[in-house]
Parts: sequence; C-alpha cells; structure tokens
Amino acid sequence: MNTPSNPPEIDPVPVRHRMLERIAHVALEVGRILSQNGASVRVAHEGARMIAEGLGVEVLGTRSGYASFEITVGTGRNTITRMIQIGPHGVNHRLDFAVRDLALRASTGGMTPEQIESELARLQRETPRHPPWLVALATGAACAAFGRLLGADWPSFVPMLVAAGLGQGVRHLLIQRGINVFVIAAIIGCIAATIGGLGARLCGSGTIELAMMASILLLVPGVPSTNAQTDIMDGYPTMGSARAVWVIMIMVFAVTGLWIAESLLRIHA
Amino acid sequence: MIDAAVAAVLAMLPYLGHQALFGAIAAAGFGVLFNFGGRALIWCAVAGALALAVRTFGQQCGGSLEAASFLAAAVTSCAAILSRRWLGVACHAIALAGCIPMVPGAFFGQALLGFMWVAGASTDHTVPAIVGSVQAFVRVISTVGAIGAGLTIPAYLLRSRQF
Repeated sequence: MNTPSNPPEIDPVPVRHRMLERIAHVALEVGRILSQNGASVRVAHEGARMIAEGLGVEVLGTRSGYASFEITVGTGRNTITRMIQIGPHGVNHRLDFAVRDLALRASTGGMTPEQIESELARLQRETPRHPPWLVALATGAACAAFGRLLGADWPSFVPMLVAAGLGQGVRHLLIQRGINVFVIAAIIGCIAATIGGLGARLCGSGTIELAMMASILLLVPGVPSTNAQTDIMDGYPTMGSARAVWVIMIMVFAVTGLWIAESLLRIHA
Repeated sequence: MIDAAVAAVLAMLPYLGHQALFGAIAAAGFGVLFNFGGRALIWCAVAGALALAVRTFGQQCGGSLEAASFLAAAVTSCAAILSRRWLGVACHAIALAGCIPMVPGAFFGQALLGFMWVAGASTDHTVPAIVGSVQAFVRVISTVGAIGAGLTIPAYLLRSRQF
C-alpha cells in the first residue's frame, strides 16, 4: 500500500541561524580587517555594525581584544555569537579606508553577504601598495628628517637616510619570513643604529649618538601609541592598555638593539 | 614694542622654516610607510609642516615641549577637520600622520638606555642617571598624551567623529 509522502518539513530556526552565521562572519571580517590595518576599536565596531544592519539584522553586542573580535547578532528571538582571530596589527591607510567605504555602501542595503565577502577579498588583493624600494627610501628620508629635527648635524644626514632605509628593507624581508615582531625590532634596531653610527663617524659627524637614535626611529609605533589613547577615550581601556604595553615592548626591543650597536661601536651614553 | 616682536618673529623664521620642512619630509615619509595614496601624501606633508611650525613657534615663545606639542596637534586637527571638504573622510588620518614627527621616540630611547645603564652599573653614582631616565620617560608619556589629546579634543568638540 502506498502512502502519500509528506514534503520534508523545514525548521525555520536552523535556517535563520545559518543566515545569521553568514552575516556575523562577514561583519567580523570587516572588523578584523579594520583592526589589523590601523583603525581604532570604535571604527572597527562601527564598520561591523554597519555591515550587519545593512544586511537587516540587529547587533546586540561587540567586543574587541587585541587578538580577537566577537559579535552577537540577532533577528527576532534568534541570536548568534561568533568570534574571529585578529592577526598582526599594522597600518595600511588605503585598505583601511577602502573597507570603511565598503561598509558605508553596505549599510544602505542591497548587498548580500556573498557580495560583501567577494568585495572584501578583492580589496585585500587589489588595493595598491607602494613598492618596497620606495617605502625603504621614504622611511630613510623620514628618519633622516627626524634626525635633523632632533638636532643631528648635516654630515650625519645621508648615513641616517641609508641606515634607516636599509633597516626598513631588512624589516620588510623579515616580516615576510614570519619572524616575531619584537625580535625584528631588536635586529633592525641593532643593524640600523650600527650602520647609522658607523656612517656618521666616517662622515665626520659630531652627533653620532643622535644619528644612531634617529636611524631606529622607523621602529617607533606612532599610530598604535595614539590609537591607545583614542581607544581609552572612546571607552575601550582594555584594548588601549594592550596597545600601550605593545608599544613599550617594541621600544624595549628596539632600544636593546641600539644598546648592542652602541657597545659594538664603543659609544657610551 | 611691536617692532621688537616683528623682529623676533623674523629672526626665528629660518629655524621655523627648517623645522617645518623636515616635519613635512618626516610626515610624508611615514605616510608612504602607512600606505597613504599620492594626493593624501601631499596633505600629510602639509600637516607635518603645520604641526612642526606651530610646535617650534610655541617652544620659541617659551612654551614647554608638552604644551607646544598639544597646541600643534590641536591646530593640525582643527585645520584638517575644517578642510574636510578637500581632504574627505581621511582628514583625521592625515592630521595623525602630520603629528607623527612629534612623537618623542628619541626621548623614549634615551629613557630606556638610561635604565639599562643603571641596571648594569657597578658604581654608586646612579642617581643622576635614574633621575635623567625618569625625566625622559615622564616627558614621553606627557608628550604622547599631549599629542593624543590635541588630536582628539577638537574632533569631539567639532563633532567630527563620523565613521
């Protein structure tokens, strides 16, 4: 005897949860990219919120740690909480603002999570970066200019430029090899200060110590140190404190490199 | 008296110009490191020149490094916010890049080197080194604080905190 087969019943709750999961994931991706590229916590939270609300769900809460980002989104009685890992923090102004622009566009509605995800992938792939040689040259020029601002004399200008430029070039290579950022700070501090000090001595500079100090200023985390304060003022003291500790640690390692260089060159502060 | 003031300002112009020029180079150089685009880099240089010019003027008028840094950061932040029409939403980032040359990294290094020397010193005459290092460290904290406050206070007051 044949019995009429009932159509399979679809439980709406798992369906809504799957939809919420996709939205939470894409909102977290936006928050992650913003956090990793120099945005403050408030901006990262705002970006994630814009994405979620543009996709038609309510953001019930967000939380940022130094290495993770969490969001709770909901619609009606369904809610979901998800977390994503945040990678190394850096500064990439063009990517940061391209993602903010995407969040603004998505907040007006009309985009699907898949479209936002593919746009994010495209932005990460195609946002232009300056070539490494130009970054090294510009960083060298910036440190040499810093040296002049600190009172370093003209004979030490080119040595500072070369030392910091080479330091940036080596830093780029070491970052690509995945070496720990603090170890990199110590290595670059030592290399840049040694080259800067030796060069300044050979050029007859009377401000060798200043030249060595200026040569390592590429390692000073200026954006994180001001972001730390912004985060605390915006009501995120945990993240602000984490950034401040990170800045201090980077400086300790950079100055360790400088101290080794001073010992090598027998310069006593 | 006005003649004397004008003469004093004219006398400091070469130094002011020197500081502004190297402030512009430092800000633009770090702008490249932070991956600012071509047009934004020019604005970074302008912001750096403005910040260093104001800070130098403040110090030449007898202000402390901290007070002059606060004034310079506040003026740069206000100028960037008021120029939002041309700078776009990146105005805060440009003001920040302009203030990077004022971050007292050298004082930080000096403080840490001093602490390292004290830790390894075998003499009893470490007090001057400790005092010098603590002073440098306090200057770092107060100057970074002054720059951060100078950048953010105008943004709060002028309600320019958009995404």
